[in-house]
Amino acid sequence: MTRTPTNGAAISIQGLRKTFGSAVAVDDVSLDIKNGEFLALLGPSGSGKSTVLMSVAGFEFPSAGRIEIDGADCTRTAPSRRNIGMVFQNYTLFPHMSVIDNVAFPLKMRRVSKRERRARAIEALATVRLDAYGDRMPGQLSGGQQQRVALARAIVYRPRVLLMDEPLSALDKNLREEMQIEIKHLHQKLGMTVLFVTHDQSEALTMADRVAILKDGRVQQVASARDLYQRPTNLFSAGFIGEMNFIPVTHEPGVAILPDGTKWALPENAAVSPVPSGPAMLAVRPESLSPVSGKKGERCLDAVVQEAVYTGASTLIIARLSDGTELRSQVASATLEHIEAGDLISFDVPADSLLIYPRDDA
Amino acid sequence: MTGTAETKPAARHTARRGFFSAEGRQLSSGGVLLLMAPFLALMAVAFLWPLFSLLSLSVLEPQPTLENYERIVSNPVYARVLVRTLLIALMVTLLCLAMAFPVALLMVRSKGPKSVLITACVVLPFWSSVLVRTAAWAILLQRHGLINQGLQAVGITDQPIQLLYTRVAVIIAMAHVLLPFMVLPIYGALRNIPTDYSRAAAILGAGSFRTFRDVIFPLALPGVTSGTLLVFLTALGYFITPALLGSPQEMMIATLISQQISGTLDWPFAAALVSVLAIFATLIALIFSRVMNFNRLMGGGS
Repeated sequence: MTRTPTNGAAISIQGLRKTFGSAVAVDDVSLDIKNGEFLALLGPSGSGKSTVLMSVAGFEFPSAGRIEIDGADCTRTAPSRRNIGMVFQNYTLFPHMSVIDNVAFPLKMRRVSKRERRARAIEALATVRLDAYGDRMPGQLSGGQQQRVALARAIVYRPRVLLMDEPLSALDKNLREEMQIEIKHLHQKLGMTVLFVTHDQSEALTMADRVAILKDGRVQQVASARDLYQRPTNLFSAGFIGEMNFIPVTHEPGVAILPDGTKWALPENAAVSPVPSGPAMLAVRPESLSPVSGKKGERCLDAVVQEAVYTGASTLIIARLSDGTELRSQVASATLEHIEAGDLISFDVPADSLLIYPRDDA
Repeated sequence: MTGTAETKPAARHTARRGFFSAEGRQLSSGGVLLLMAPFLALMAVAFLWPLFSLLSLSVLEPQPTLENYERIVSNPVYARVLVRTLLIALMVTLLCLAMAFPVALLMVRSKGPKSVLITACVVLPFWSSVLVRTAAWAILLQRHGLINQGLQAVGITDQPIQLLYTRVAVIIAMAHVLLPFMVLPIYGALRNIPTDYSRAAAILGAGSFRTFRDVIFPLALPGVTSGTLLVFLTALGYFITPALLGSPQEMMIATLISQQISGTLDWPFAAALVSVLAIFATLIALIFSRVMNFNRLMGGGS
């Protein structure tokens, strides 16, 4: 918490529900976003993440629930009166105004004097390193530059909340990664609260303090990137973030019975939330599985190699257990002997890498 | 049939060079010309040639002379007709603009059956002839017509007022007839504005009026420009409506021209009037497109 004094506003979303006809887009979503926090809403398309954002912006009025910004109810306030910044997916710079007029537009709406408008617009353009481009028209800029101008326009009036609706999805990969770092720095410098919608999990993990995972209009988990990756709370989060191996098992208190009948003692923290006895899923990350030869450890999985994919620093081994369950293992290429399809392979499974979930909640 | 005989060898020639240019991305100039040929031929035969022969009539009959143009300039009656025509066309255009913009906006913003209904209301008048629509106005505006009865019933006037055969009648009826030509281009322009623009303006602090004034209207200007030009130029040469609903003392130039052609049989003078009208129309179109060149202003390339 060595951040510069934050001037972000806290956002509180309480029991938000939005229906379009008979379709439920958002179902009882509650989120508390601390002032100055960078929260990413992550989910597949149709998960309701955009609807949540549009409700905070004021473009959609929720069917039920409340939205508070800094304690003030603004559930039905017009967007123009919320004083929040927003960056859209498609830049949305006004094509008939020069870059500097675009950036000065929100100041003009706030009746700032012409001279101050210009000075502050140039300053905002300087923060995105585009102060030399003020007199150009938006159509003369590249996509990345246009999105940076849009960013400057969204921060020029120093809103305490900044909403971003998949702002980087129209950019190519290199530019996207560059912009991720740039937006993160801007957030650290200015300290506003950021609500960021994306379907790209690496983007969410890279940028956000906390990530909220949505599926079918419901929040699955809200946690920091590390927690989300290491201790996902349910089967959906576990499968959605990163890659995960799932092995169907039968759960008995403290023990998992594998498909071939082997019993594994489970460490206490393997269950993120209580798991009843019966059918369950054992989850383990590909990078936790390491091939062993000869002496076998306490927990070991025997499989047949299907494919070994060399990707430079690491190699992906795709193998199959005797019951047909597919296993993926990510191994540093340097430590690996020659492997080819059809080879028998044993993976050592460290106890602390095991997670177990009830099977029926998928 | 000489036309087809002439284009056949040309077609074979362009086919050998390729319908597309070397890179294969664009039509070759020969290909473009070939595709345009039917249109260009029609324009040449049905528009340019008659216009040219009419204009030559104005300076060549009975012997080379500028006498017809002298008559237009020297007699103030003709100048008055021309000014009146310009004025009525201007009024019609403004009235159309005032009526069309809200309709176009509504068309863009409504969805489903409502939008179909509005579009039908705008386009349906095209299915009946101008003559029918003008006659309908004559019935509405006559001495004991619906409008006069309505005015008396409400108590605005005691006795019927003169509506038919006035300038007001001409302007109203012409605006009605020409309205779709204003609505459709504006609708097209508004439709091309992404909804995210109004959202962006709103979140940046613009209320609905400022959003309209600073964002929506400027972006709709190309549509306004073409609608205005279409309506104004059509109104300048309009004939049926002024002839049927207008006062004989307040002639518009098209009526005057037809009078010269069919009444006094003075074709050379009628031709001179046509050329004056054509010059005015061209000038106005040129000035308008020069002043309103927003496409270039927007910096292209987007």
